[in-house]
Amino acid sequence: MAPRVVIVGLASDFGCQVQMTNIEDDLLDVLGLIDLQYWQLASSGHMPEEYDIAIVEGAVTTQEHVELLKRLRKTAAVVMTIGSCADTGGILALANCVDPDVAYAAVYGKGPEVARGRRAPGPVDAVIHVDYRVPGCPIDTDEFINVLSRALQGLADRTPVDPLCAICKTKENVCFLDRGEVCLGLVTRTGCGAKCPTLNRPCTGCRGLAPDANLEAARAAFVSKGLDPTELERRFDLYNAAREVTR
Amino acid sequence: MSLITVEHVARIEGHGTISVELDGSIVKDVRMDIVEPARFFEPMIVGRRFDEISLITSRICGICSPTHTVTSLKAIEDAMNIPVSERTELFRKLLVYGSFLQNHATHLYIFSAPDYVGLPSVFPLAETHPDVFQRALKIKKAGNELCTLVGGRPVHPVTAVMGGFSQEPDPRELEVFRDRLADLVDDAVATAQMFDSFEVPEFSSSGDMLALVEDDGYAVYDGDTAALEAGWRRPVAEYRAFITEEVFAHSNAKHSTSGGRSFMTGAIARVNLSRDMLMPRAAEVLASLNVRVVEKNTFLNNVCQAVELIDACERCTMYCDRLLDEGGTSVPVEFEIKAGSGVGATEAPRGTVYHSYSIGDDGFVTGGDIITPTAQNLGNLEADMRAFAPTIADLPYEEFILGMEKLVRAYDLCLSCSVH
Repeated sequence: MAPRVVIVGLASDFGCQVQMTNIEDDLLDVLGLIDLQYWQLASSGHMPEEYDIAIVEGAVTTQEHVELLKRLRKTAAVVMTIGSCADTGGILALANCVDPDVAYAAVYGKGPEVARGRRAPGPVDAVIHVDYRVPGCPIDTDEFINVLSRALQGLADRTPVDPLCAICKTKENVCFLDRGEVCLGLVTRTGCGAKCPTLNRPCTGCRGLAPDANLEAARAAFVSKGLDPTELERRFDLYNAAREVTR
Repeated sequence: MSLITVEHVARIEGHGTISVELDGSIVKDVRMDIVEPARFFEPMIVGRRFDEISLITSRICGICSPTHTVTSLKAIEDAMNIPVSERTELFRKLLVYGSFLQNHATHLYIFSAPDYVGLPSVFPLAETHPDVFQRALKIKKAGNELCTLVGGRPVHPVTAVMGGFSQEPDPRELEVFRDRLADLVDDAVATAQMFDSFEVPEFSSSGDMLALVEDDGYAVYDGDTAALEAGWRRPVAEYRAFITEEVFAHSNAKHSTSGGRSFMTGAIARVNLSRDMLMPRAAEVLASLNVRVVEKNTFLNNVCQAVELIDACERCTMYCDRLLDEGGTSVPVEFEIKAGSGVGATEAPRGTVYHSYSIGDDGFVTGGDIITPTAQNLGNLEADMRAFAPTIADLPYEEFILGMEKLVRAYDLCLSCSVH
């Protein structure tokens, strides 16, 4: 029997779910491997009582999200997160850098109260255990298919742990640090094929901190290239501002 | 009194709930509750550097990300007075049109079409109507690949930067793509004819219609804002003077009015205001369809999107030709960081999007304001729902709900965008 799958969105831009529909050539093959029970974005129907795999997109920003995640964890044998918002809190966690009352007033003013039950945006694994993750903003479709295949086969999670500089070198990209520009490749989790540097843009850290990164050495590298080492942290906040909250 | 709710309406981008209050079969009230969580993008960008802003605001929406990126860049370039080359503008237009192809194909085939053929989703069509399913994927894929060709990936473009592009596509690939777009025109025509054949209710929206207009083209990348019925045309920089936002307790997204009246933005507004500017085949097909010269039936937004697919294929073929023939450069222009305020407006697939920012001497943002198309449309959608519900209130429950969902989906809502 094909594993029963639900796809759930928390606070997000839906970009990673859109990326899932963007696997046009393989969409039917992937759908053939699973029993897709619930996907609000693509189909009518209700969330079922039972399922085997929960795929979660988005950051946790409300009390409802916390309760939903606990329900998913209790029911599903496997929880898989897709995208930076679910993985690190992503861009949305930048809101943590602003006083919540000031942020609320800036958007909604003094009218009727809306957006109730809010909490500081954070990643899914701050609430429940996550078995498989597809990092990145947005997710890479090949990596998604890979991780989903591993989950379906019950293979161990193999999220890369190295920073992305090594793979960037194999693409023969000219190093941004050597050009005097801030790039976060030294500390960011690899697995994206160094897409941005290959398109002549520095890494912005969307895949989160590489567990094997050497932060001290990265700061020293910045200094040796004449770059402000505090920029490393400041820029890294872009997709990773929740790291202070969860640690 | 009874209350009908459709929670987390399926096949729309984001989370929203339809609520209908009934007294017997008399409709007392109708609401679109926007439960999409608030994300606070406007306060979030304060204190970030000018060159990070388009990366952040692109994440307002995974579907309209190319439009948000381009609009954000334009607003900052306006604030710092940075002119860009014609070649840069052409590539940006391709990026915006790539998201039109992708979005319209997704909305029409994956979100809307199942309503008209009585299916829960598009997936069963793969078996029953493989030609239709393949056509859907073909157009959608072309949109994604156009965004990838120009921007580096389908969602959240990489190469679009302040003043230009970090990298241009290989001309040979551009040439191949030009032929592919020309070939796609027939698929777009078939899409328009298919949606034209679907029966829609007789209905007329009470609101006005707003879209960008230009003297010499079908405005998408630039232009002034025009109002169809109020009859005015104003520079986008004044958008705060002609759009008023208001907060309602049932919606995490604000509602908009213009001159005290709700209005609609999107494909139907654009076609109404710029139909004379459509490319030849799109104009020819439009004339053959059941779309009036001034069309106020919201349900026909779908058909108008399909007409825009034809226009987009023809227009992008022309843009590719120009990029291949005309030379020039899209290398980012040199500029000085300076203080200022600026506005950018672009047509996203589902309507006009406005970004405005203030930037300090150091290049860090001190304030920002964004109005998305869906936030503009929500007030008008509710007005339409209130007007439409009583006309179908005597239908069996399932059909009543489907009728309301069809209306909601015709707006091609993007609730993520609406609650930014």
